[in-house]
Amino acid sequence: MSADDRHTLGKLAGQRVSIAYGEHRIVEDLDLVVPERRFTALIGPNGSGKSTILRTFAGLMSPASGTILLDGRSIDTLSTKDLAKRVGVLLQGPVAPEGLTVRDLVRQGRYPHRSLFARWSDEDQAACDEALMLTGTTTLADTPLDSLSGGQRQRAWIAMTLAQRGEVLLLDEPTTYLDLAHQIELMNLITVLVRDHGKTVVAVLHDINQAARYAEHIVILNNGRITAAGRPEDVISAEAIASVFGVRSVIIRDPVADTPLCIPL
Amino acid sequence: MIRLLVLLAALLAGVVTASLAFGDISLSWHALFETIIGSPEASPQNSMIVFDLRLPRVLLALLVGAALATAGTITLAIMRNPLAEPGVLGINSGAAAAVMAMIVLVQEPPVLLLPAAGFFGAAAMAVAVYLLSWRGGTSSMRIILIGIGLSSLASAATTFLSAFGEIGDVQRAMIWLAGSVYDANIVKVRLLFFWLILPLVLAWMSARELDLIRFGDNSARSLGQPVDLVRALMIVLCTLISGAAVAAAGLIGFVGLVAPHIASRLVGPSHARIFPVAALIGASLVAAADLVGRVIIAPTQLPAGIVTGLIGAPFFAYLLWGRRHVRG
Amino acid sequence: MSDGSRFFALLLVCCLLVTVSMWAVTLGTVHIPLRSVWQAIVGFDGSREHLLVMTIRLPRVLAALLAGSALAVSGAIMQAVTNNPLASPGLLGINAGASFAVVSVMTLFGAGTGDVYMWFAFAGAGGAALLVYTLGSFGLAGQSTIGLVLAGAIVATFLTALTSSVLIFDQSTLDAVRLWTAGSVSGRTMAQAAAVAPYILVGLAAALLLGRHLVTLSLGADAARSLGQNPMVWRAISVAIIILLAGSAVSLAGPIGFVGLVVPHIARLTIGVDYRWVLPFSAIGGALLVVAADTAGRMIFASQSFPVGVTIALVGAPFFLWLARNRAGGAT
Repeated sequence: MSADDRHTLGKLAGQRVSIAYGEHRIVEDLDLVVPERRFTALIGPNGSGKSTILRTFAGLMSPASGTILLDGRSIDTLSTKDLAKRVGVLLQGPVAPEGLTVRDLVRQGRYPHRSLFARWSDEDQAACDEALMLTGTTTLADTPLDSLSGGQRQRAWIAMTLAQRGEVLLLDEPTTYLDLAHQIELMNLITVLVRDHGKTVVAVLHDINQAARYAEHIVILNNGRITAAGRPEDVISAEAIASVFGVRSVIIRDPVADTPLCIPL
Repeated sequence: MIRLLVLLAALLAGVVTASLAFGDISLSWHALFETIIGSPEASPQNSMIVFDLRLPRVLLALLVGAALATAGTITLAIMRNPLAEPGVLGINSGAAAAVMAMIVLVQEPPVLLLPAAGFFGAAAMAVAVYLLSWRGGTSSMRIILIGIGLSSLASAATTFLSAFGEIGDVQRAMIWLAGSVYDANIVKVRLLFFWLILPLVLAWMSARELDLIRFGDNSARSLGQPVDLVRALMIVLCTLISGAAVAAAGLIGFVGLVAPHIASRLVGPSHARIFPVAALIGASLVAAADLVGRVIIAPTQLPAGIVTGLIGAPFFAYLLWGRRHVRG
Repeated sequence: MSDGSRFFALLLVCCLLVTVSMWAVTLGTVHIPLRSVWQAIVGFDGSREHLLVMTIRLPRVLAALLAGSALAVSGAIMQAVTNNPLASPGLLGINAGASFAVVSVMTLFGAGTGDVYMWFAFAGAGGAALLVYTLGSFGLAGQSTIGLVLAGAIVATFLTALTSSVLIFDQSTLDAVRLWTAGSVSGRTMAQAAAVAPYILVGLAAALLLGRHLVTLSLGADAARSLGQNPMVWRAISVAIIILLAGSAVSLAGPIGFVGLVVPHIARLTIGVDYRWVLPFSAIGGALLVVAADTAGRMIFASQSFPVGVTIALVGAPFFLWLARNRAGGAT
């Protein structure tokens, strides 16, 4: 594969993907390219198919037709374990068994890396320690999940996906339950992961301004279709917001980050 | 919904008619019709068979089935566990232990005392389970665990009695416990009806509370529901209903577990819809089981509780199997 | 609870198990000192005392140890796989299948020897469990655990109904089978214990290696899959181990329900939910419970044939109730 192909296909791509629950089609003929080593944000109104697309890209759902490509190879050719080594996913509202501690949960992130009888290795330990550190949960490690606040729990789950050490991270509304400080911290963490660790991150976000400020690539979805995709300053426009969300707004420049800022009218 | 109810009612009517017609002496449709409308052409023998023997039996089966299904629906909702049936509260094991003790330990126990023993065994266990799991409040998990613990004690007593009791007594107890409506009479039917009417109506009126409590204690409480009170009341209702059903007909298992599951698959999660559908299904199941048990190896009668297992179980499997693609 | 204190708790239960087992061998109508027990094992001389140890006392204790640990571990796996606290090996139809097989054999061919029942019980248990698994995984309600749970309830109900319809008409079979049904390790021979021991030991070893995967499995199918675990494969492996363990246990000691249901709960309430600890703790705890209960039954009721199924509940239930009341459901 030439460098050119790799560029046009991106890290992760969907080709003519249709997704359906039973007879009910959610997504039809979607072509979506996730650029490598970039932070991509999926935005769109409720029910636009964001989470479904994320689950499909993670291999948790099979598309009714079409293929998902990771580095140009269909993910169907990868075993679930090999896929999990390369792609980490955080779903919405995950539930852990009663009494499980943060450390126990984060250790689970090493699951794909361990063969059947493999012992816990130094690399496993390092990955867990790093994940705990990056998410600021080191001090919570021995606390049961069910006694944590929503935000702490969310960070523990993010730590689990980080411990997987995949090249790609798919996050479904990762800022849910987080207070402002932790939201900013998470966004900065994603920036660091992309810039310094070479990760490719896709996140479903609800806050358009947050997406515009931190993401390098934005995909706007509506009714299972892409209405716009590109750099924030190219896709965030008053017309796009009006047509997708049905909200009138003006777009100004963010005085701090110089990114588009949407002010609803 | 309306169509479904009509369909189920038609099914029930079919089962009832068949139950009145078939048996050791089968009546033709014509003869049955004549007997029911009380036409002068009907033979007195036929009207004796229909009204004095078969009708009470069918009515008892219907009441017991509806009661078991309702109690099952309640437990499923308050325990939030797909395996929960009234037995979780210790009702079955309590009744079994009490009846086994009565038959094995008491010489020639009066027949009337067996239902009473069954009811009190069931009620005592339910009360004990609830009291033991109360610690400034209850939780579904604690009730389930305490129920397991107390039930295993009661079952140990039953096992002990059945292992060392006189073999004829043990067998008699097993037949009683297998669950049947053999000895129905109109007095028993009337008694059960008046006993059940209030708890059943109360249960159906509390459908909205059950819709809410299923979301978990915290969500329900945040929406203003006094969770512990509701759970206590529901357990009382459940005990009254299934305790009476057990007293009247022994341990007819499976109906309380399956009827609510079928009903919620048919009409969705709203209890206002589940209750009537589950009750109709439960009533049809028990009545049909009794009919089959009466005719399948006649003149020997198979207890309805065994038939629900033999026929109800595969039927339920078939129902779920048929719908697998829908949920796949 | 830290790993250190968990280890200490495990060690404590281990010591208790060894003590109780040794005491159980010495105990009986004739007291046999530990020294003689040891001599009987290493240098069997055919004396009456040695015969007593090798043909009656030791097989009985071994049977209790094997059955107890196998049932408890299979129960723990079952609860992890279904994510349901009400699950036990019985839910896979193990007990109902074994009972049905034994009752059928007795009715059709008359009461035979214990050896014959053993194999039929194992076959019945395995057959029922396979049926439940097939129905639950490929048929009912897709691949969710609720399918497995409902399939188990259906098959168990059906087989139990068949068994009772035989028993309520056949008094002689009822008489012959009722002690077996209560669960008992009395009169087990060394050959019987040795026959199932390999299966149970293999099953236990596999289960202990499985612990880590069970934690992943209990995060739910989606999370497990996103971590690269194939939930279907691991469920199949778990069920195979459960059949091996619980099937062997039931064929050795009859359908004992309590151990598989309650011992994993006791383990969880004591040392937490991590299956890497729950499984070994269940293995030791289950063995301890059954040996202690059997010995207590022999002692208190002064009867060699008192069914251990009854004493297990009498010994274990009060402790379990106390634990459940104090530890479960976020005591308020």
